[in-house]
Amino acid sequence: MRSPAGRGHNTDFYSGLLLVAVATVALLYIRTLEVGTVLEMGPGYFPLGLALVLLGMGLCLAVKGLLAEGSPIGSFHLRPLICILLSFTAFGVLVERAGLIIAILAQVAIAHFASVETRWRQSLVSGVLLAAASAVIFVWLLKIPVDLLP
Amino acid sequence: MTDVFAALGHGFAVAATPINLFFCLAGAICGTLIGVLPGLGPVATISLLLPATYALSPVSAIIMLAGIYYGAQYGGSTTAILVNIPGESTSVVTAIDGYKMAQQGRASEALAIAAIGSFIAGCIGTVVIALLGPPLALMTQQFASPDYFSLMVLGLVSAVVLANGSAFRAIAMIFLGLLLGMVGMDLNTGEARMTFGLVELSDGINFVALVMGLFGVAEVISNLEGASVRIVNKMRIGTIWPSFKALRGAWGAVLRGTALGTLFGILPGGGATIASFSAYALEKRVARDRSRFGNGAIEGVAGPESANNAAAQTSFVPLLTMGIPTSATMALMVGALTLHGIAPGPMIISRQPDLFWGLIASMFLGNAMLVIINLPMIGIWVRLLAVPYRLLYLVIVVICAIGVYSVNNSSFDVYMTVGFSLLGYVLRKLDAEPAPLLMGFVLGPMVEENFRRSLITSHGDPMIFLQRPISLALLLVSAALLISIMMPAVRQRRVEVFQE
Repeated sequence: MRSPAGRGHNTDFYSGLLLVAVATVALLYIRTLEVGTVLEMGPGYFPLGLALVLLGMGLCLAVKGLLAEGSPIGSFHLRPLICILLSFTAFGVLVERAGLIIAILAQVAIAHFASVETRWRQSLVSGVLLAAASAVIFVWLLKIPVDLLP
Repeated sequence: MTDVFAALGHGFAVAATPINLFFCLAGAICGTLIGVLPGLGPVATISLLLPATYALSPVSAIIMLAGIYYGAQYGGSTTAILVNIPGESTSVVTAIDGYKMAQQGRASEALAIAAIGSFIAGCIGTVVIALLGPPLALMTQQFASPDYFSLMVLGLVSAVVLANGSAFRAIAMIFLGLLLGMVGMDLNTGEARMTFGLVELSDGINFVALVMGLFGVAEVISNLEGASVRIVNKMRIGTIWPSFKALRGAWGAVLRGTALGTLFGILPGGGATIASFSAYALEKRVARDRSRFGNGAIEGVAGPESANNAAAQTSFVPLLTMGIPTSATMALMVGALTLHGIAPGPMIISRQPDLFWGLIASMFLGNAMLVIINLPMIGIWVRLLAVPYRLLYLVIVVICAIGVYSVNNSSFDVYMTVGFSLLGYVLRKLDAEPAPLLMGFVLGPMVEENFRRSLITSHGDPMIFLQRPISLALLLVSAALLISIMMPAVRQRRVEVFQE
């Protein structure tokens, strides 16, 4: 069990903050929708209600986190986080522009750096095998409409 | 009664076609595989394989996905017994006595009773679905929109019960999910809501991108944080067949576990994990000599393993008859059915008899296959543990990316997965579980539709939810469930169960 964390630096405060942020963004976009009345509900009626409840719950959590001690936030490991997210982005950018094979190789190359235990030779072989297998399974057999090469 | 047998016969005709047999086997093998591999749960795997079922017929797809779910219950016990690492949360208690048995050289006995118990439980659970399904669906057909609304509320409350940790935060996650479910076109007016002006969002947030990000990719990222565990298995496994004496000792535990699991699977807020914990507690209570538990009691393996498999089967009952998921895995099944254009609910049995009875029949066949997959071939599965995670995760991320992309052939969905992976990772760090969010997301559109329809029929009077007896009863049950988890005594107990 982690030791309790001080006021304002605990999971309650930050999850509250996150919810408030989401609710605020939602409310900004719900603004343009017609809300209507109970008798004739517009498209904005239900989302508005949900967003307001979420805002309220977020505020409660944030205030609770400020006033009382809570459990600390888990530590963020940026290396796997950034590498994995980047690898997906690279796949998304490349798949339609450079074809499936290059997209997969690029994804594996970036994902390789997410772990300290990977060895480049093994990753290289995995990447090539994955690209070949995907080409056969997804493009050849399942006929996904995507180019293999640029 | 004869109707049930006739329908079941039809189901076997559906399930026994070569193509469905193949996908049943494929699901069972996939399930065993992920059950064996720690750090890859059924929710993540089913979301991974969802796009792959796209090309299949709905019946084959659901047969395979169900196979993954109950297959994981079998596979999870293998690693729990042999190396003391539960592959699934449902096998955590199995490790207590199972691993002790393995250390005493009784590994084969433990593995055999786990597989046989699971098989018996699976078969009984399936019979329960066949018998309970049609009458429950008939009953649900009487439901009007206020009743449906209250049913959804009960479904959402059950997600709170299942969540680990603070109930308040789980409720907040449900509302976040409901709100995300609102994105896209409004059903009544066709107006775009919260789409940020993006055309790609007009059909709503892509279900596969959301699930894969929140569960699949976020899980991979957290698995990569620490050093991976090298698993060395020195256990020798001989012929896998239990002695007659062992079978006789475990017989009662199998039946008690099955009964408990069947019940927990159907109840909202139950589920396979809680079923296995409760079964272990029950075995300990009814045993004459309690000191044997923790020292290799065969009942401690037989009870929980039967319970989790029975619950895995019967948790399909609320889904297929009433259309409400009772767990995150079942929420995925809702998503899978919706992707194939089938609305889960009471009409499934009458309108899609192939799907309902075919699925039930496939469960019988799948359970039989699993015994064969698990007992004689156990050596192969154990050897799989040697595959290092540094290779596995590369495979997982590539399959994830191709899977998400192939749903709509759109890069936008891949970027959305990136966003949800980040959200899923942050939520993990904040001790907020994504499972209630998923339930809210899946049920969101249905909740809104029934809410709006109810208030139109009642001319804007919200009392309609309390005036209809079915709706009132469902709301009362929901309230009772919510109050009970807020109560200190139950809260304490819940913490114990999750920490054990």
